[in-house]
Amino acid sequence: MVDHPVLDLTDAPAEGPQVPAVRMVELTKRYGTLTALNRFSLAIAPGEIVGLLGPNGAGKTTTLRTLLGLLTPSSGTAEIFGIDAWRDPVAAHRHLAFIPGEFAVWPQLTGRQTLDLLGTVWGGYDRAYRDELIERLSLDPSKRGRSYSKGNRQKVAVIAALMTRAPLLVMDEPSSGLDPLITATFQQLLREAKQRGQSILLSSHILSEVEAVCDRVAVLRQGVCVEQGTLAELRHLHATTVEATYVGTPPPLDDVPGVDDAEVGDGVLRLHVTGSPDPLLKALAQAQVTAIQMREPSLEELFHAYYDDRADGA
Amino acid sequence: MTTTSPTTPRPRARTNVARRSPAAVWWRAYRHHLRLTRNAALAWIAGLTALSAGVAVTVEDRVGSEAERQLLESMHDVPAFEALQGRMVEIGTMEGFTLARWGMFGILLAVWAMLAAVSLLRRAEERGHVEPLRAGVLTPRGLLAAAIAALWTWLAVLALAIGASHSALGFDPPTAWALGGAAALLGATFAAAGALASQLAATRGSAVALAGTLLGAALAVRVAAPATTTPDWLWWATPFGWMGFLHPSDASQATVLLALAALAAVLALAALALGRRDLHAGLVGGEEASAPRARRVGGQAGLALRVTAAAAGTWAIIVGVVTAAFGLLTHDFIDAMAGMATMVELGREMFGMALDAPEGMVGATFFFVAVLLAAAAAGQAAAIREEEASWRIEHLLARPVGRTRWLVTRLLVSAAALLAIALAGGVVAWAATRLGGASVALGDALLGAVNVVPVAWLTLGVGVAILGLAPRATAAATYGLVVAAFLLDFVGPFLELPDRVLDASPLRHVAAAPAADVDVAAALVMLAIGAAAALVGVAAFARRDLKEA
Repeated sequence: MVDHPVLDLTDAPAEGPQVPAVRMVELTKRYGTLTALNRFSLAIAPGEIVGLLGPNGAGKTTTLRTLLGLLTPSSGTAEIFGIDAWRDPVAAHRHLAFIPGEFAVWPQLTGRQTLDLLGTVWGGYDRAYRDELIERLSLDPSKRGRSYSKGNRQKVAVIAALMTRAPLLVMDEPSSGLDPLITATFQQLLREAKQRGQSILLSSHILSEVEAVCDRVAVLRQGVCVEQGTLAELRHLHATTVEATYVGTPPPLDDVPGVDDAEVGDGVLRLHVTGSPDPLLKALAQAQVTAIQMREPSLEELFHAYYDDRADGA
Repeated sequence: MTTTSPTTPRPRARTNVARRSPAAVWWRAYRHHLRLTRNAALAWIAGLTALSAGVAVTVEDRVGSEAERQLLESMHDVPAFEALQGRMVEIGTMEGFTLARWGMFGILLAVWAMLAAVSLLRRAEERGHVEPLRAGVLTPRGLLAAAIAALWTWLAVLALAIGASHSALGFDPPTAWALGGAAALLGATFAAAGALASQLAATRGSAVALAGTLLGAALAVRVAAPATTTPDWLWWATPFGWMGFLHPSDASQATVLLALAALAAVLALAALALGRRDLHAGLVGGEEASAPRARRVGGQAGLALRVTAAAAGTWAIIVGVVTAAFGLLTHDFIDAMAGMATMVELGREMFGMALDAPEGMVGATFFFVAVLLAAAAAGQAAAIREEEASWRIEHLLARPVGRTRWLVTRLLVSAAALLAIALAGGVVAWAATRLGGASVALGDALLGAVNVVPVAWLTLGVGVAILGLAPRATAAATYGLVVAAFLLDFVGPFLELPDRVLDASPLRHVAAAPAADVDVAAALVMLAIGAAAALVGVAAFARRDLKEA
């Protein structure tokens, strides 16, 4: 077995950095009459970290499994560095490492045996980096699979993926079961991977994690991608909360574009503004404003907005 | 640790939550286990009742003349037949003939009851189904008792089905009900043995191995029983032997029922006594300790070898026990056969076995090994499916391991393991036969072993085809086909089924080598069908979605 000496991004196909790490085009997966994933398109550039968000049953795991070639796409295509994931999964998988959300271990193998097995079938791994990861994630690799806790099983999965130094990391709720300290270490490892130029597709429920590490997010709802963009773009699409105090007559807000939910009280006003804040600022300038505070929505608020939309639509 | 002062009110359950009594909770768990086992249990009850009834109604046709009746009656003088079938009493009568068949039906029932108990207890625990149940107010022993009670309930239904159907067919009614009761209690005994093994062993695999060894030992004693000079005491040393004393002429029905009930109760109580243990813990097979110098697994082929080795080892032991038992008795068998030309002729006609020569006995031995190997092959197909159902396969297939390569590797390792089990059985048969005082050439014993491998490979190929086309049915359908093939070959002739139907069983096409020539054409056809089925399975597997359990 030949170990990979260091990160080897030359392993990616020769077309160069223009070839996206992940390219899904109108990817659709149907089970009978149920459409689990509907015409989902997404591209991830080399070195980019993309978060995949969505409530339970939104189609995140279906997306990842179809991307891995474990499920047949009903229509559309999924490519890893330009290689079709369904037609040539073996070639595609040479460029990616996967962390499942629930790591079913072989009960009779020790952690070290499992790591060695998974590294070997990947085609080799960086042993020094494996040992570093074992150290940083505090794993005892001499225990058998059946005696690992959920968190320790997850650590095995994380190490098995990272130690290959694959140019693309695909993760399905990778930090589920990890304690807060290990989660922080894990996020640091992701940032280091990004610095080395590895691409990451991260499906997660932990919004702070996505917010901390992702460049872009895609939001899935009932198998449909409802939003996609950088966090700044997403925030732009959503209401900013504005709180202002004023003296005298309240500013005229009735016909200001983008303003919603305005509450005018005793010298204080609260409202939400969507889109450009320019009309609002011009309206506020007509009153004697003494203080103003504007707050962008957190990812959690964005998520709630999509989630609540679903409830409204139901 | 916190203490509660007498004045502190205890937290109370919300008033809109109806609290159920422990008995009501247990009853719900019992019904849950009834439901989990319902489909398989009903299939077994229907199958066994129909088979037994089928044998009973055809006996009059089989025994046409007084001469035939006398010939059949004399069979129990030949230890070879009793070793194969169990104790025989008045087999020229409907009762005697049917009861003799239960020597074999009882084994099938025992195997099912044992596997069902292990599946309900250990497998459920490994899959995480036990935790949520035990996290409630159910005690570990309560849960164990619910599982055993559910299996015993189905066995009681079997007793009713056999008792009622056989009485209606003209069986002596007390004997019909005694047969029903004894069959149910035999099943109950091995269900309890499976439950006990599930408490002793820490994994499903080691529980099956433990209970299987127990079952194999009980069977080996029964096989040895007819060869002893004072036969009766050894018959009474094994529950499989007790089943041979149900004929009214023995006047032992009550004793048999009591003995079986007592054994079932003792085993169940032992299981309950050990039932209060840690989750996922046991006395054997659960080495928790760190293994700092554990050897590398190697790649995917290494993993396939590793996960196949344990099951292959268990089957090798079972095959070894059977071949050793038959081998040790060969000398006595052929001695008894000398000068019984009609009996030898009958053996040749009914079983295609030359029972007057050591080579003939090796052939007879490997007929049973063929069935065991086919069951082992079905087990391999089920184990391959389990890698997918547990989703462990994802770790490999998300890496640069192609589906075709993965499945073909598993398939080849399983095929090699089956061949190795057969060859090991051949060596044991040769050594045991010599040890028992008879003589057979090693080459002949190995020929007998290799002769049955195509049946196993055919089963494996068909199992892989099912895995590719209908993955969730893999275990049930493949084991079901093996049982069907066995029954067709072993019971079919008594039911006077048409040859075209009987020929569907591959076991019928296995020549009694080494006494007879290997049927090369039949072997090639089996290998071709097996290979074609495997190809279909691999191709279908490569093109379909992975399917969870």
